[in-house]
Amino acid sequence: MGVGTLTKKVLHAILFDEIWDAMKVTFKHMFHKPITFQYPREQRHIPDTHRGALALLRYDDGKERCVGCDLCEAACPSRCIKVISAEDKSLPLQRYAKEFYIDITKCVFCGYCVEACPVNALAMTKLYEFSTHDKRTLLFDKRRLYEIGDKFLDDGKRYLYAHGQEKETESSREYRYFFPQSVVKGTQPPPKHLT
Amino acid sequence: MALKPATNPEAEAVTIELTIDGTPVTARDGVSLYDVIASTGKIIPAMCYHYTFDPFGSCGMCLVMQEGKKAPVRSCTAKAAAGMVIRTDGDDLFAARKKAVEKHLSVHPLDCPVCDADGHCELQDMAFLHGVTNLANAKQKLIPEDTRSLVLDFNMNRCIACGECINICKDVQMIDALQFMKKGGFNQVVAKGDLPLQCEFCGDCLAVCPVGAITNKYSKYLYKPWQMKKTRTTCNYCGDGCQMDVETKDTHVVRVTSPLSWKNKWGDRTETAKGHGGLCVRGRFGFQFIDSKTRLTRPLIRKEQDLVPAPWLETMHELVDRLQAVKARFGPQAIAGLITARCTNEELYLFQKLMRTVVGTNQLDSSARYGHANFVHAMRDALDVSRMTADSETITKAKAILVVGSNITETNPVASLRVKEAIRVYKAQVAVVDSAHTNIAKLSSHPTPVKPGTEGLFVQGLLKAVIERDLVDTEAVGQHPAAFAALKQAVGAVSLARVAELTGSTTDQIGDVAALFAEAPRAVIIIGEGIVRRSGGYRDVLNLIDLAWVTGKVGRPGCGIATVVEEANEQGALDLGVAPEFLPGPVPFGDENARARFATAWGTADQPVRLPDSGQGATLTDILDRCRTGQIKALYLIGENPLETLPASVNVKEALDKLDLLICQDPFLTETGKLAHFVLPACTFAEKDGTVTNQEGKVQRVRASLDPIGESFPDWHIMTALASGLGASWEYESAQDIQNEIMKLLPGYYNLGQPKRLAGSPDSYLANRFAGGVTKRYTAADAGNPPADKPFRLIMGQVLYHSGKLSTQASGLINLAPNTGRVHMSLEDCERMGLKEGALVRITSAKGSLVMGVLPSALLLPGSCFVPEHFNEPPVKDLMTVDVDPVTKVPTFKLTQVFVEKA
Repeated sequence: MGVGTLTKKVLHAILFDEIWDAMKVTFKHMFHKPITFQYPREQRHIPDTHRGALALLRYDDGKERCVGCDLCEAACPSRCIKVISAEDKSLPLQRYAKEFYIDITKCVFCGYCVEACPVNALAMTKLYEFSTHDKRTLLFDKRRLYEIGDKFLDDGKRYLYAHGQEKETESSREYRYFFPQSVVKGTQPPPKHLT
Repeated sequence: MALKPATNPEAEAVTIELTIDGTPVTARDGVSLYDVIASTGKIIPAMCYHYTFDPFGSCGMCLVMQEGKKAPVRSCTAKAAAGMVIRTDGDDLFAARKKAVEKHLSVHPLDCPVCDADGHCELQDMAFLHGVTNLANAKQKLIPEDTRSLVLDFNMNRCIACGECINICKDVQMIDALQFMKKGGFNQVVAKGDLPLQCEFCGDCLAVCPVGAITNKYSKYLYKPWQMKKTRTTCNYCGDGCQMDVETKDTHVVRVTSPLSWKNKWGDRTETAKGHGGLCVRGRFGFQFIDSKTRLTRPLIRKEQDLVPAPWLETMHELVDRLQAVKARFGPQAIAGLITARCTNEELYLFQKLMRTVVGTNQLDSSARYGHANFVHAMRDALDVSRMTADSETITKAKAILVVGSNITETNPVASLRVKEAIRVYKAQVAVVDSAHTNIAKLSSHPTPVKPGTEGLFVQGLLKAVIERDLVDTEAVGQHPAAFAALKQAVGAVSLARVAELTGSTTDQIGDVAALFAEAPRAVIIIGEGIVRRSGGYRDVLNLIDLAWVTGKVGRPGCGIATVVEEANEQGALDLGVAPEFLPGPVPFGDENARARFATAWGTADQPVRLPDSGQGATLTDILDRCRTGQIKALYLIGENPLETLPASVNVKEALDKLDLLICQDPFLTETGKLAHFVLPACTFAEKDGTVTNQEGKVQRVRASLDPIGESFPDWHIMTALASGLGASWEYESAQDIQNEIMKLLPGYYNLGQPKRLAGSPDSYLANRFAGGVTKRYTAADAGNPPADKPFRLIMGQVLYHSGKLSTQASGLINLAPNTGRVHMSLEDCERMGLKEGALVRITSAKGSLVMGVLPSALLLPGSCFVPEHFNEPPVKDLMTVDVDPVTKVPTFKLTQVFVEKA
């Protein structure tokens, strides 16, 4: 070991050089924006494409979008969706989902159901906080899904825009599915020999 | 392959040769090119084609290239000709077909998500197959949906104008309720005259619609096809034994579909002679009783006047104790049983085994006693066969059909299609002898309306005419000259003019019908409720057999005698010995060999079971009589409801009140059930496995399509438990176990839906027993004119939309045909008496009188009134007098003389 090296070593020891090295990192972090954040009080920013809780959406006038077509049920790889559809008796020919269940404990958040939905009634929101003590509450029914949808309508729409399912333009806002009208009387009088 | 049949089944068509895709093919002349290609196994898409009717050629998909032609040709409408060179594949053809799909799609709404046909749609399949992703000039039709009909919705936006619905309605059903109409620039399918659809509602149009243009109102929007479980089973409503698919979701029956569908479009046209696979309104739209709210879900025990629910274990313990007490105190002859012919063969077999071996009584009967027993007894006595000798193919290909006393399009709509096909395709001549202007009479060549109750008399007239006009078959008659002489002498008492006067026909009409039947090379008789459910039914069936014999139609190929039955398994009930006079087979109960065989089979070889003595048996009416005299103390009813079926004059209530023990086993709480001490909840046909035998003798499977509702059990299961409780060691764990036992005892009974064709031989009957009975059978006097104080004849009969009392539990059918509580009367009578629709009349018979509204009907003859037999409100059945046939013990109570006046 040469004299120079020895001197260097002694000098390092006297000046507590390692400590200054370590403190340098510490002090650097004191002036650095923190990477972690105080979770319940602070919320993370979530991208629009995030696959969170599923929700059912309404049109702007408050009408349910879902027409009860059961395609989400068919598309679901984990078979967690059950739709029971019916005809709206007050508005003949209008099909709607009488009951709609998503067993969120089974859901794998693949988003296939949203992709399958022909009327963009299903969307994924940024909601991810639905942990619970009671597993049974994780069977989302129609009421719960609409509650989520009403609360996070904006998230849902953004999800659809981000995935290219709905266009964020004025014309597409007017998009909705129209049912055929029912006819109670013939559109033209029946021929004479049959009356 | 779908070949258009020759109108004469015996003539062979000329064979031609052509080349398809380089392969030489031989085909029959006069056949569509599409059929020839399909017969080689190649499938060309075609949306407007179905084998049950002639090609229509509207969809433009079945394009093929013919050598020598520049453009592709539609193969369905092109006739196959000798020497054609055809190419069925290629990029040009694919592109042309794709263009056709695009043409249809360009005016088709893309509303698949809300369409019921989604996933079961030919247009969807074709768009997928041809990769249609872009539509250049799409436009919407925006036609309002027609929801005026009671069961079907017409969404003409989705219609591709393939015409399948119209064609099947016109060609197969011969109802012609639909038509094309140009409205709003588009060809639309509408009900005739653009009125609300009013037809027989068979729903075949719905079945063949390849898109969602026609939808079923009862299951609309409920589920998508892929969500439902589909079970092929046999319809339980009538004796036709149609196959159907019950589609269920969990515990609900969602809808019923038929094997007839646009998906099964390839077939041999001649195969429709065995049935076209469709259903009628009852089968397709009357399924709601299966998961009805009114179903019994728990056993009920009578405790202090009330029926209270109880657990099965407790019920069965108590029931067995009570039954054993009755048996110990009064002996086995104090117990009797009745079972409905809607049960499966296995259950019917088990029932008679239970009554005969475990209980030890021969007092048992089934609902086949109400009419079918007349037919079977006559056929056994005369021809030595125990079911009808004409299968559906024979009927279809007949040259002459004599329909006697049957409104076949209403009672057995699918069987009637065989007659319709005979008329349409094979140009048969049909004579309908019935007491109303029925739909089949309107289609027939010789509609012969007769006064109600004189159908049997008309048959006597037919025999007289045959002998008078010398229409007899000398060969058939020559073998039995003695019998023929006896017949001739007996018929001598009949005067044609008198018959014509009493029946309300003319001697010419009688002669024409007789000549039509006698001169046809292939002739079939169809016997309906107008014969077998009237007094003298047994005699009239024998007379009809005489008619077939003297005209040489017995045993000749293509001829036969057929019947139509009301309940699904009446034939099976008699085949499996659920009658005091029969053992399974059926063989006579008194036959010593058979008794020994069954005694050993049901016991052991060393210890045969002791069967009841043959003299002790009792039929339906005898059982009720013995209940009334106190001889019978316990009655076990399975699905039977005598209180609501038989007229008040039989005093069923009094008989049932006298019983110490009344057990009712039924899916519903019936009026009889309300009197019972024990009510056991049974399953409907949709929840059990087994087989049923249809009127033709086809043994067909019934498969469970859903789990038993509530705590109900299949009937065989309850019977097994009861037998075990009574000390028998029965080890049946499924219907299959019972089936295995029947297979051993009756080899060949399970015929997989292909019964052996029976001819029947009258030789032994004619040689031995004929002469003794024949004179008594031809007495034209006994059905004289009605007495002056009761000039009307009141008939109770079936209507199209109902079957027994079961269908009144099906909300879909009640929706179509609710209980109007009105009596149908002819227009002439209504006019004469000044009666408007709904006017009240008082109907008085020998048994009582009641007031009800009037419904004028164009179908009835003057002098007759008609009431559907399915409803008891008002209790029209109580006006009827009961007449029990001396030979077959069949109680007849569907016709009576009444006086009608304004109330």
